[in-house]
Amino acid sequence: MTDTTSSPLVSFRGLDVVFAGEHGTSPVTALENVSLDIEAGQFVSLIGPSGCGKSTLLRVAADLICPSAGHVQVAGRPPAEARLRREIGFVFQDSALLEWRRILANVALPLELQGVAQAERLAKARALLEMVGIAGFENSWPRQLSGGMRQRASIARAMSTSPRVMLMDEPFGALDQITRDRLNLELSQIAEREAMTVVFVTHSIQEAIFLSDKVVVMTPRPGRITHVIDVDLPHPRGLEVRETDRFIELCRLGERLLSEGFHDNRR
Amino acid sequence: MTIAGKRARFDRSRLGELLAAGLPCAITTLILLVVWEVAVEITGVPAYFIPAPSRIWTAFISGNASLGYHTAITAFEAVAGFVIGSAFGALLGIIFAYSRLVARSLMPYVIASNTIPVVAIAPIIMLWFGSGITAKVAVTAFLSFFPLALNMMKGLQSYDRTVMEVFHVAAATPAQRFFKMRLPSALPYVFVGLKLNVTFSVIGAIVAEFIQSDRGLGFVIMTAYRTLNMPRLWAAMLASALLGIFLFVLVAAIERWLIPWHSSMRETP
Ligand SMILES: Nc1ncnc2c1ncn2[C@@H]1O[C@H](COP(=O)(O)OP(=O)(O)OP(=O)(O)O)[C@@H](O)[C@H]1O
Ligand SMILES: [Mg+2]
Repeated sequence: MTDTTSSPLVSFRGLDVVFAGEHGTSPVTALENVSLDIEAGQFVSLIGPSGCGKSTLLRVAADLICPSAGHVQVAGRPPAEARLRREIGFVFQDSALLEWRRILANVALPLELQGVAQAERLAKARALLEMVGIAGFENSWPRQLSGGMRQRASIARAMSTSPRVMLMDEPFGALDQITRDRLNLELSQIAEREAMTVVFVTHSIQEAIFLSDKVVVMTPRPGRITHVIDVDLPHPRGLEVRETDRFIELCRLGERLLSEGFHDNRR
Repeated sequence: MTIAGKRARFDRSRLGELLAAGLPCAITTLILLVVWEVAVEITGVPAYFIPAPSRIWTAFISGNASLGYHTAITAFEAVAGFVIGSAFGALLGIIFAYSRLVARSLMPYVIASNTIPVVAIAPIIMLWFGSGITAKVAVTAFLSFFPLALNMMKGLQSYDRTVMEVFHVAAATPAQRFFKMRLPSALPYVFVGLKLNVTFSVIGAIVAEFIQSDRGLGFVIMTAYRTLNMPRLWAAMLASALLGIFLFVLVAAIERWLIPWHSSMRETP
């Protein structure tokens, strides 16, 4: 292992991302001078209005977008190297399962691409399906599963190579409130048990506060980080934590910071 | 169709479903045959003009051995041409999907080649390949490569962008991307192309035989026409139709087996 325990697991330094305008439109500055450190084992949420660059930030970390300026390190390496070493797991808003594979083969896909032997990867995939609560659906086609179950499978797939960094872009955005609560609770437990490092994008302040150790508030045009809220709620958290005064206080703070940024931007 | 009707169909067994799918066509055919037979009987149309189904059937049965032989020849030409043409078409489609430049430079020729009437190009191909079976296979291959080339290209380009990103994050190699993502997502398109090819291949083989041959269904049709043996001509037509249907159903069965996951394969409409 090359990184020492003191250096952050993910770090962005002075990150700029500018998208060239297509067909004569002016270029879009999606992120401007963004710096952020994420420690190993931390659960960090990104929150902010649409277009503030949350997805862009995750995608830079996953080597899906090249930054225009600045330095990015993931697990002590540039994103491209971290990706090739399979240190990154990515969960998309759309579960993006392979329609032509049954659920078990979908979850085992990253291991298959890595060249892990069949018996081993299937055993691991089974264990993961159990962990995310959809054991028994190994032989279903993706289209036979509900949205929530598909997203569970998608999370299991991202976890299959035991990546050191898990990036999740609104994974529960399309789910109903009750399913979402359940998945939040389970994700929180899994992340804690596996000591996962997670960067999580959401539009829900409650979800962000409930899951995170740190909530990063962003504003658009250009995308910037305006505030970082430290969530000092004790672990492990049950859904009842949402009734506590501290939780409600933190949510209010988040809401205020979010709307502040929004109004600032409108001036 | 009513919702209840849909549900009833969904609940039926596999065999029952097949029967239910075939039944309307079987009834239509029966009615058609009866009307045809009776109409020919009543009007007294001469057999060379429109033979009654019973006469076609007699010709079909009595010409059994020779018709079977000629059908086998045509089937061989059609299948061989289909396989060769489809292989070339698939390869071309793959190259087009991966290289925009090649696609742009060659596509006009490919499209032009498809618009050439087969009766115009077939004599030229036969001149190159001689008068044997090879020439018929070549004509058939020429006719049946285009649909797959186009559909293969379209299919390979139609993958889900997010799924591509899943492969990228999982550090997939280009070969893995092709075999585990782009090719499987292209399969539904590939089968559209293959089903077109397989029907064209029978037509291609018969047209080639028509131009010059001493065996095959095209030859039978030709000689039957020259000798005004119309029931035999109709019997050959029946044989070619049955051959086409058989090959089509074969490809469709392979499709069902290979891509059971695809939405067009779902049991509910
Ligand atoms: N590939 C791209 N090409 C051009 N512009 C882009 C591209 N991707 C994102 N952008 C622009 O960058 C900005 C930030 O986009 P991003 O998707 O990161 O926002 P977001 O915070 O994730 O929004 P949402 O909450 O709606 O998902 C937007 O203005 C968007 O239009
Ligand atoms: Mg987004």
